Amino acid sequence: MCELSKLAELRKLMLSMERSLGLQDLTPVERDIYYAANELSENGNGVRTVGLIEHALLETVSRPTFFRALKSLVTKGYLSHCNSVNRGQYTVNGPRT
Amino acid sequence: MRTLAKETLIASGLYLAAFLVVFEVVTPLQSMFFPEFPSRASLLFLPHGIRVLTAWLLGWRAIPALLPGVFLVFLYVGGMDVFLPSRLAAIAIAVSVAPVVFMSLAMVGQDIRPQPGKAPCWPCVMGVGIVTSVLTALLTNMAFGSETVEYVAYLIGDIFGLFFLMLGLLYVFRHMRRRQT
Repeated sequence: MCELSKLAELRKLMLSMERSLGLQDLTPVERDIYYAANELSENGNGVRTVGLIEHALLETVSRPTFFRALKSLVTKGYLSHCNSVNRGQYTVNGPRT
Repeated sequence: MRTLAKETLIASGLYLAAFLVVFEVVTPLQSMFFPEFPSRASLLFLPHGIRVLTAWLLGWRAIPALLPGVFLVFLYVGGMDVFLPSRLAAIAIAVSVAPVVFMSLAMVGQDIRPQPGKAPCWPCVMGVGIVTSVLTALLTNMAFGSETVEYVAYLIGDIFGLFFLMLGLLYVFRHMRRRQT
């Protein structure tokens, strides 16, 4: 596991703790999209919508719920649209150093 | 090899930093607020959190990664007594119990280590932290031949240490996330 993914795993662990303690502002679907985006963006590139939809954590989520949650994550600042490419690609915001 | 060196530097560095916080800040405060507490053990032992989270992330590689940090802490506290058999045994216990617990759980089908496509379970990590603490306290106190009160003090310190370290990380990540938006 590379260093970036270790940091992502640690961040996922803290998000699960935030949720359990009632401290966070993400719904379960938003959290799972964020987890999936963390994993898919480990190579340093952005993450594509199609990759997120097909992720194991999001297989059972309906399309409307998925897109609502995705939009909400962008609004809350967890994800942002890639400026250089089309709208179907996002970058994950969070501690990366 | 380079990765292991980097992991060692980070894990041991964090272990030393956590220990210094405990030794220079927490313990003096503890002595001030609980002067009647008979044990020298810290009631908020943050290095236990570093041990457990390192073992969760790195598996068996946590053993070499933490070894220099744990050794330096024992050297700092006990001076050249660090080479006594009881101290060497305590160092071995401190670095190996958490990875062994995680790996033992994985062997019996309860793998809670980070895996792609799987949501992490923080209460499970806390559970391993408690089991690790009990085993470490029992084995360490056997090595040192300590009083019973030490068992309880180690246990409380380790559990609080892990929980508050995770809580601290939670707020650090949250702060960094908000700063970027």
